[in-house]
Amino acid sequence: MVMLAVAPLLAGCGASMPADPNGTLQEITGGTLQVGVTAAAGEEGDWVQLQPGAEPAGIEPDLVRGFAASREATVEWTGGTEHELVDDLEHGELDLVIGGFGADTPWTKHAGMTLPYMETKDERGKTVKHVMLTPLGENAFLLALDKYLQAQELQS
Amino acid sequence: MSPGSSTQAVHFGNTRLPEEQRETLRKAKKLEWITIAFLAVTVALVYLVLGNSQAMKAAWIEDMLSFLPPIAFLVAARVIRKPPTEQHPYGYHRAIGIAHLVAAVALLVMGTYLLVDSALGLITAEHPTIGGVELFGRTIWLGWLMIGVMLLIAAPPVFIGRAKMKLAEKLHDKVLYADADMNKADWMTAVAAAVGVAGIGIGWWWADSVAALVISASIANDGVKNLRGAVSDLMDARARTYDNARPHPLLGRIDDFLNATGWVGEAKSRIRDEGHVFHVESFVVPREGSTPTAEDLEHLREDCVDLDWKIQDLVIVLVPELPEEFLPGVETGGED
Repeated sequence: MVMLAVAPLLAGCGASMPADPNGTLQEITGGTLQVGVTAAAGEEGDWVQLQPGAEPAGIEPDLVRGFAASREATVEWTGGTEHELVDDLEHGELDLVIGGFGADTPWTKHAGMTLPYMETKDERGKTVKHVMLTPLGENAFLLALDKYLQAQELQS
Repeated sequence: MSPGSSTQAVHFGNTRLPEEQRETLRKAKKLEWITIAFLAVTVALVYLVLGNSQAMKAAWIEDMLSFLPPIAFLVAARVIRKPPTEQHPYGYHRAIGIAHLVAAVALLVMGTYLLVDSALGLITAEHPTIGGVELFGRTIWLGWLMIGVMLLIAAPPVFIGRAKMKLAEKLHDKVLYADADMNKADWMTAVAAAVGVAGIGIGWWWADSVAALVISASIANDGVKNLRGAVSDLMDARARTYDNARPHPLLGRIDDFLNATGWVGEAKSRIRDEGHVFHVESFVVPREGSTPTAEDLEHLREDCVDLDWKIQDLVIVLVPELPEEFLPGVETGGED
């Protein structure tokens, strides 16, 4: 009885689960990935380095470029404070925000986050699980990004 | 039939349980322990895949609340065994009513909270975010795990609930009944959560909040139903059957038995449902010209008590006419 109730729903859509309510993954594939960047460099790693006149550098921009390449997307970078970037993410103007975020980020009400792709220790010896922020509810995009990030061999 | 006359005997207060009820009680306790074990596994499993789904959160909280009735039952089953004391001349039977009330309030409060929480999620158009999860070196969608877990835990409570339902009738136990009733409906919660997550999967962000609303409404509804039952029992409403479906037939049987006794002209009783056992006050008008002795009264009382295991605490009051004051509806013949 239980299976009967859910089976048609699953069978009909099994191939494309999960889907994005706003179609982010479809839009960026072969298109443009809008990425918000905020500087984050410290002892435990150079997550995002911003130099005037140059492309963002560091661990996270490299990962983002790799992911974009895997979806044949070009990356468009937008700078700003965390607050501005998360706000843009919430309003659909950005697809992804990077800036050395940890899994305990206080932004979870306003943004989704990836699985931790790397773990480091901060100066207080606390473990930081590094994540990126995605738009809320864009699950196909998030899963694609998660799959890409988990497949990378990252050494901390 | 004094308390503690045999080490094997099980008592509810002064009432020694007959073989059938003793066996039923033993089974009920076993089932409640099985329920608690099952719930512990369920709560842990669901917690692991909880994610950002409101429906999963609602289902998880319902599972947590499902601990209350079995615990209430097991605690009450212990407390009500105590015989009456000077401090508690009516015994400890009401413990079960208190347990029932506490469980009902918890259900109602949590149900209402979740209802508001889920409605807010729907109004503010919260898009639940469910990403990947690492499983055996592969990254899969967490939603699949959620659906899998919910479907896995959907079926067992239905069977446990059915088994408990049968025992609740024999024991005349309303907490056990309420618990069984909730277990029987548990599969709907699990399926609703699974459907909600599947909805997220196909891009219907609202499916999750809607499923959560359905689940919280069912929790709140359980709360209201149980609260009503518990309060009416504590208010000494007329004794009803274990499922509150109709007035308890024992009331009629006692009055019929009294009226069939030779020296009794007219008799009527009122019953307090103490949880498992009944406390009965019987008003008896002797037939004209007959003068019953104290022995006659005592015999009548003992014969009444022998009618059913639920009758133990029974007093007979000799009156010149049935007092309307204590027996509302006696003059109109009462309504059923």
